[in-house]
Amino acid sequence: MASELSQMESSIETVINVFHQYAVRLGNRDTLNQKEFIQMVQKELQNYLKKEGKNEKLINHILEDLDTNVDKQLSFEEFVMLIAKLIHASHEEMHKNASNTEGHSHGPGLGGGSC
Amino acid sequence: MPTDLEKALDSLVCVFHKYSLKKGNYHALYRDDLKKMLTTECPHYTKNKDADTWFKELDVNADNAVNFEEYLVLVIKVGVEAHKLSHKE
Repeated sequence: MASELSQMESSIETVINVFHQYAVRLGNRDTLNQKEFIQMVQKELQNYLKKEGKNEKLINHILEDLDTNVDKQLSFEEFVMLIAKLIHASHEEMHKNASNTEGHSHGPGLGGGSC
Repeated sequence: MPTDLEKALDSLVCVFHKYSLKKGNYHALYRDDLKKMLTTECPHYTKNKDADTWFKELDVNADNAVNFEEYLVLVIKVGVEAHKLSHKE
């Protein structure tokens, strides 16, 4: 791997690193089980999923929705769909919060940051 | 304060706009914009297919532009590939 990562590569690397950081904790080291997923959402998505983070039932509901093969765990392939949904939702939020109605502008996204 | 993961997700919104704001519709990557993005942002993960093939594959509704939703398909594909490679290294 080249040492200089592009913006896309370094962002995706962060996603993969966070996934592994929680996936290795219990059981299968390359999947997120319920406990690991709850820990990950509450810590790493504390702004994006603030409301859901306070309610384990809601987090479990997200996990069930993503768990397409119904094995009660999330592979990276299943997890990456959450990532895509969150990027989409944050982008929508940036437009909802945009101050400038002319041209193209963004307000804060789901995490409070923007671009 | 956004977490590192949240910053990475917002950053993936920025990556799209770096190329989509160049011309025309604010949320459209035209053929040459996509080519520029592929070669600049993710050459390792997309070199198995040429830029035209990627364009046809991602432009699901065949309107000759890759919109934000279609770009997310590329993010998913590069993510899955990068995760696989992370276990080979």
